[in-house]
Amino acid sequence: MIDYFALALIHGLLAVMMIRLSSRADLDREPTAPDEGQGGA
Amino acid sequence: MLDLALFLFICFLLLVGLRRPYLWVLTYLYIDILAPQKIGWSITPAFQFSLISFCAAFAGWILVDPKRGSQWTLRQSLLVALLIYCGWTTLNADFPEDALVKWEWVWKAMVFAIFLPLTLTTRLRIEAAALTMALSAGAIIIATGMKTALGGGGYEQLNFFVNNNSGLYESSTLATVAIGIIPLILWFTKHGTVFAPDWRVKAFAYALVFACLLVPIGTEARTGLICMAVLALVSLRDVKRRLTFIMAGLMMVTVALPFLPQSYYERMGLITGYKEDSSASTRVAVWKWTFDYALENPAGGGFDAFRGNRFAYRMPVKEATGDHTVSIEYREVVDEARAYHSAIFELLGEQGWTGLGIWLWFQALGLWQMERIRRRWRNRAAADQQWQSPLASALQIAQIIYLVGALFQGIAYQPFIMMLAGLQIGLWTYCRQLDSRQPAGRVPRQPRRGAKARGNAVAAREAALR
Repeated sequence: MIDYFALALIHGLLAVMMIRLSSRADLDREPTAPDEGQGGA
Repeated sequence: MLDLALFLFICFLLLVGLRRPYLWVLTYLYIDILAPQKIGWSITPAFQFSLISFCAAFAGWILVDPKRGSQWTLRQSLLVALLIYCGWTTLNADFPEDALVKWEWVWKAMVFAIFLPLTLTTRLRIEAAALTMALSAGAIIIATGMKTALGGGGYEQLNFFVNNNSGLYESSTLATVAIGIIPLILWFTKHGTVFAPDWRVKAFAYALVFACLLVPIGTEARTGLICMAVLALVSLRDVKRRLTFIMAGLMMVTVALPFLPQSYYERMGLITGYKEDSSASTRVAVWKWTFDYALENPAGGGFDAFRGNRFAYRMPVKEATGDHTVSIEYREVVDEARAYHSAIFELLGEQGWTGLGIWLWFQALGLWQMERIRRRWRNRAAADQQWQSPLASALQIAQIIYLVGALFQGIAYQPFIMMLAGLQIGLWTYCRQLDSRQPAGRVPRQPRRGAKARGNAVAAREAALR
């Protein structure tokens, strides 16, 4: 029972996290990057 | 039902990743830490989800990711060098078949640790990776904590989701990781953006920290107690009211002591009475054997070289001879193929002095880089520059606790710790990039504590000179 509770709680949180992340624009791009478009080294 | 639920959840993660491929990186973190394919029994183990997510994470990054800000660092080069060296020692291993078994998971953990920082190019990605790691480990920690609180603890008595002593499902490793991630969990109560730090987030985080503290008690892992002491000591560096912290800590320990089971006291007593404990006596003997072995084989004997050890040592055996008398007799015990029980000796025996040197360099560099970020970013005034220093501090403390725990466990290549190192490298490159964008001398800083007082003193001295 405890195992089910822990797994359900964490998987619920992970699911919410993934859904929120999938709609966040700043996941792939830093919003305040001043030199946007410049590649890394 | 559970099996089906886990299967559907992984499918959901893989589908969401189609929209944002970085989420496949998080999917691999989740699968590698929690091992849902081992929790399930029919559908989930039927698919190679670990391999699928591993390939998806790489493919997503190579084909779709903008790679803006991806940088290569010295620590990644050190990991590549160690990986190549491990491969070479595996080819020349004393026990080739056993070495190959370990190589199969070690190379994956190292390759992912090399790869992970390349994907951590934004603040949100760093936070999401840390959150996935904390939550995935949190599932095991919450279950263990609750079982302990309800009286189900005991050395090698706790039932985890998976009972095969692999990954985080080994009690001492779990205790070390649980204590190590406490500062990281607390970081989310102030700087999290995926779950904004409101009362619910704080309540969950504090409950999770409590569960983390229960893990060393429930597992009765002696390393866990040492890690807790180290955490208390290192935390003194960052707390504002040190005396209050010490008093609160002492009070908490005093209140908790009567609730601890007798078996816990007996097991912890063996930390000081190690000469009476066969496990501890064996460790000392193995360490001596490994040191001698490394002198004879400086290049190392490959993974699982410990299988060649055989040694005899004397240990006291207590026997009750009457109602109130106990006789102690020293007996010679012969042991063989005993594991290293220390990451230092694990590396020394398996990868020799070269491997140990690279690993120590890699670890020392991590500590130094986190310290550098901690100091450079702690007094910055901008709103978006408040999270870097506390995160560096949390990751540094996690590493310190791991290094102390690793003195007594063979966890040199522990995948979770490798991911933590990847996170450190990602934070280091991210901060370095931000610094390089900032014009020299243009970093807005908060006035430091005592600066005003010092300023007044300087003014007074100048006035006196005038």
